[in-house]
Amino acid sequence: MEIALIGNPNTGKTSLFNNLTGSYEYVGNWSGVTVEKKVGVFKRTNGYLIDLPGVYTLNPLSKDEGVVTSFFLHEPVDRLLNILDASQLERNLHLTLQLLEFEKPVLIGLNMMDVANKRGIQLNVSQLAEILGVPVVPVVARNGKGCDKLEEVIATQPIQPKKKNLVHYGKEVEAAITALSKEIEGKTEHSHRFLAIQYFEGNEYVRNYLHQIADSVTLRAIVTNLESELQRRYDCKSLTNFIHLKRKETIEKIAAEVAVKTNAVTPLSEKIDRIVTNKFLGIPIFLLLMYLMFMLTFDWVGTPLSDALDAFFTGPLSDWVEKLLTAIHASGFIHALITEGLIAGVGGVLVFVPQIFILFFFISLLEDSGYMARVALVMDRIMESVGLNGKAFIPMIIGFGCNVPGIMAARTIETPKERLLTILLTPLMSCSARLPIYALFVGAFFAGHRALIVLSLYVLGIVVALILAKIFSSTILKSETSLFVIELPPYRLPQFQSLWRSTWDKGKGFIRKAGTFIFAGSVFIWLLSYVGPGGLNVDMDHSFLAAIGGVLAPILAPIGFGTWQAAASLITGFLAKEAIISTMNIIYFVPNDANLQGLLADYYTPLAAYSFMVFILLYIPCLATTATIYKETGSKKWTVFSIGYALVIAYVLSLLIYQGGKLFGLV
Amino acid sequence: MVSSLKAGEKGKIVDISHVSHLVQRRLLDLGITEGSEVCVKCVMPFGGPIMIESCGQCIGIRRKEAVQMEVVKV
Repeated sequence: MEIALIGNPNTGKTSLFNNLTGSYEYVGNWSGVTVEKKVGVFKRTNGYLIDLPGVYTLNPLSKDEGVVTSFFLHEPVDRLLNILDASQLERNLHLTLQLLEFEKPVLIGLNMMDVANKRGIQLNVSQLAEILGVPVVPVVARNGKGCDKLEEVIATQPIQPKKKNLVHYGKEVEAAITALSKEIEGKTEHSHRFLAIQYFEGNEYVRNYLHQIADSVTLRAIVTNLESELQRRYDCKSLTNFIHLKRKETIEKIAAEVAVKTNAVTPLSEKIDRIVTNKFLGIPIFLLLMYLMFMLTFDWVGTPLSDALDAFFTGPLSDWVEKLLTAIHASGFIHALITEGLIAGVGGVLVFVPQIFILFFFISLLEDSGYMARVALVMDRIMESVGLNGKAFIPMIIGFGCNVPGIMAARTIETPKERLLTILLTPLMSCSARLPIYALFVGAFFAGHRALIVLSLYVLGIVVALILAKIFSSTILKSETSLFVIELPPYRLPQFQSLWRSTWDKGKGFIRKAGTFIFAGSVFIWLLSYVGPGGLNVDMDHSFLAAIGGVLAPILAPIGFGTWQAAASLITGFLAKEAIISTMNIIYFVPNDANLQGLLADYYTPLAAYSFMVFILLYIPCLATTATIYKETGSKKWTVFSIGYALVIAYVLSLLIYQGGKLFGLV
Repeated sequence: MVSSLKAGEKGKIVDISHVSHLVQRRLLDLGITEGSEVCVKCVMPFGGPIMIESCGQCIGIRRKEAVQMEVVKV
């Protein structure tokens, strides 16, 4: 049994999904956190639950919303589970009415009754079920209350909705529906009424679908006739508007019957909003929060934990492994592979797990609390001035965690040009995989100002992105239309459990990558450094790795790090940014006391180190990001462009910093 | 126009037909159309967006769209 979960944005769909399926799912509190179709298995009942992106209507504006419409048209589904926000019943019912027209069994989960009560709205649940002709179950999606009841109802046999045609669209529209139904009779398994009304509303996906199965000229004629008739009789603005008004009339009647309104109290949200979206304080508060986030990640909590983990890896763990290898009389080759290759390579990446989890925790906190949408609002003016949209800031902040979900989150941006621009620029956001490299270098060269130096790199990424946005949007990506309407969900106190879930969900990818990609990469890199034209166990300067890196080294010399070691690690950085760290750990492997940080001082000056970090920040999207850019843009040209511009910008900026710094007498 | 309202003031929308088509559609999705009552919650500086409240939900729109929404004060 396949059940689709559908509802307006910010109604608690994803929380409900987690409670029903018990899977580790990504939960957020801003429009469009579900960027892909996700499927879960019910805890108790047999069956699959499909989580769809939040939509207000089945007539889509953005690509994200289009996912839902094409799901309805092209994929099999047995039942629909519609989640409603009780505090916004009228708005939510617009979607419900469309779902009922689809004529598949519908079940309603009524969420946020508590919020509605606080606003002074009392709902009569059984009467709502009676009027709509479908089961309605009150739930609290955040803590899973009512989910048992919901599953019970799901387990029972699906019944067709009792009442059909809740909305009467007037005799002209009804006649047109009948006319259109005749044209598509026997050509589709979907509800004719649903298809006809969506077609009249101007739903692009339904239009393409119908024009494939029936004669497009006849269908167009039906719409044109209907439009002119309505225009003549009712002087209505458009067919879309007319249909909307008819639905609204029905909804107002329903609401009058089931809802009782009393006095409301001023919600806490509005009090908070008076401060965080304040005229003067909005941007400073945002920057302060970012600063706190970095201080906690790098200085106050993250670094001590990472140092402790590092001490464990290089100390006790290495000793135990050494003893074990000696005890089992491992060959010299295996011995070197494990201690110099794996522990150095994989361990060198794993020590940054605490910092990365702290960063992911804060990103989850921003999403869950509802602050993210406010950031989009606060930043819109700046973003608009460079030809972007306030909403583009959300993919960028998510990009601080990992660029891949960041790029996918750009789907919520309605206009294609702004979306493409956001996709191209999100890789400039410094992702968590780049963080270990900064942590290593600031530890070695800028120990006194860790957070400040790292923050400067993050800010540089943003500034470069904004400048490029301005350049691209006024040259190759000119667009006239821009759309910015954003819903600001009420603040919610995030629950620890859901925060931990989404932190773990984001962070586990990093650990998994360390176990697979970095593991294999470390073995490979170590082999390249162990083998050379002269045979096995050569001096590393005569290895294949040195030869490969040596080809690129002269090009990198003007920007401060023309060594084969730097070049070789940058090549591996394309596979995954943290591979740079494992490669360096292998290349600069020193047994016993000396650590990598100390050793780096022999190869880099502080100025070269900063130039190196800037280069790593910008130089290339990693393999996974490149694949995502290709998937999301569907264009080889733009994918190549995203790599090309990044390389050019990185080289130019590093050159400016290194050569400029030398002029000013820095070293 | 909505942008002429000060923070905290309420108005009733009388005409949104001059607002760009896409924005009109999205506002309609959110239940904001002719006849809706809106209350301006805050106004971002430097010509930035405006936060309005209607039927208990908060929405951010750009100033240039707010300029094109005709309202009467209530």
